[in-house]
Amino acid sequence: MNKRGTILVENIVFLILNLLFLSLLVLFLLRQGNGAIVLEESYSKQIAMVLDSAKPVMIIQMDMEKARKLAERRGIDFANAVQISGNVVKVKLTQNSGYSYSFFNNVDVSARAIKDSKGDYTGMYLFVVNERGNSNG
Amino acid sequence: MKEEIQMDKKGSDKILSIYWFVILTLVAGGIFAMVYVFYGAPSDVREIEANLLAQKLADCVSKNGLIEENLFLNGDFNPAINSYFTDRCDITFDVEEGYGDEEKIQYFYKIEFYEIKDVVNPLFVISDGNLNWESECFIEKSNSKDYLRLVKCKERRFYAVDKGQKQYLIKILSGVGKSEKNVKQ
Repeated sequence: MNKRGTILVENIVFLILNLLFLSLLVLFLLRQGNGAIVLEESYSKQIAMVLDSAKPVMIIQMDMEKARKLAERRGIDFANAVQISGNVVKVKLTQNSGYSYSFFNNVDVSARAIKDSKGDYTGMYLFVVNERGNSNG
Repeated sequence: MKEEIQMDKKGSDKILSIYWFVILTLVAGGIFAMVYVFYGAPSDVREIEANLLAQKLADCVSKNGLIEENLFLNGDFNPAINSYFTDRCDITFDVEEGYGDEEKIQYFYKIEFYEIKDVVNPLFVISDGNLNWESECFIEKSNSKDYLRLVKCKERRFYAVDKGQKQYLIKILSGVGKSEKNVKQ
């Protein structure tokens, strides 16, 4: 009885260690894909590409839910996550990081985070594209 | 005798477990390394950007297959258009102060107009930006790190007519540098 019991415990420990190992691996992979540096880079490049193909008087909505979650976790106001100055888009999701990328389209762009009726951020960002020198957006 | 056999089996099981974890560690190390390399390199969007630039220029040169009238002066191409064509198309290459980290213009384009009977010698050329990079477009690139840093180019060709229904072949070559932000240094 004792011997059989020992074998069972060893197997269970072995299985638990395997599961622990695999879970850590999966967690690592998921965290890598949603890291601040990766998200900042991909969002700033995506926004720059969208603005390059935009034309004046366009209003563009972009889903940035992943960015909202990360910014809130890191204590950054989502309204300040995207800044556009001149022809440079800067996405900042943590206190100590930020990524900027430029676009060649000579337009004025204003960006703002959309809130719902309760005043919470929806995770959507609004980009208003105007002719240069005509920023009424 | 029976006990000795059982002892050996138990011992070999333990060794097997150690090997198992050694293998798992090796596999995990490989996965960590691959993920690190994948996410450590910036995503290269220069080809998309060059394509967007060519598209914007094409829209500016002709609409519905008809070449814009203000490219012509007294029936010929207007050479003065070269100085303000980029602005007229709502394009700016002065995107960052001092042109950003690389301190030089990171874009260029060249638009060539050919007569249908002669598609070798262009009739008229409009160009702007960092034209030193034009030659890099024609280098056969491999996956080597040095080649990855070269400018990314896009060529588009289309036909259009002027208001007198004369046909032209138009070639647009556009290129984007920005290797600092798109290629792992």
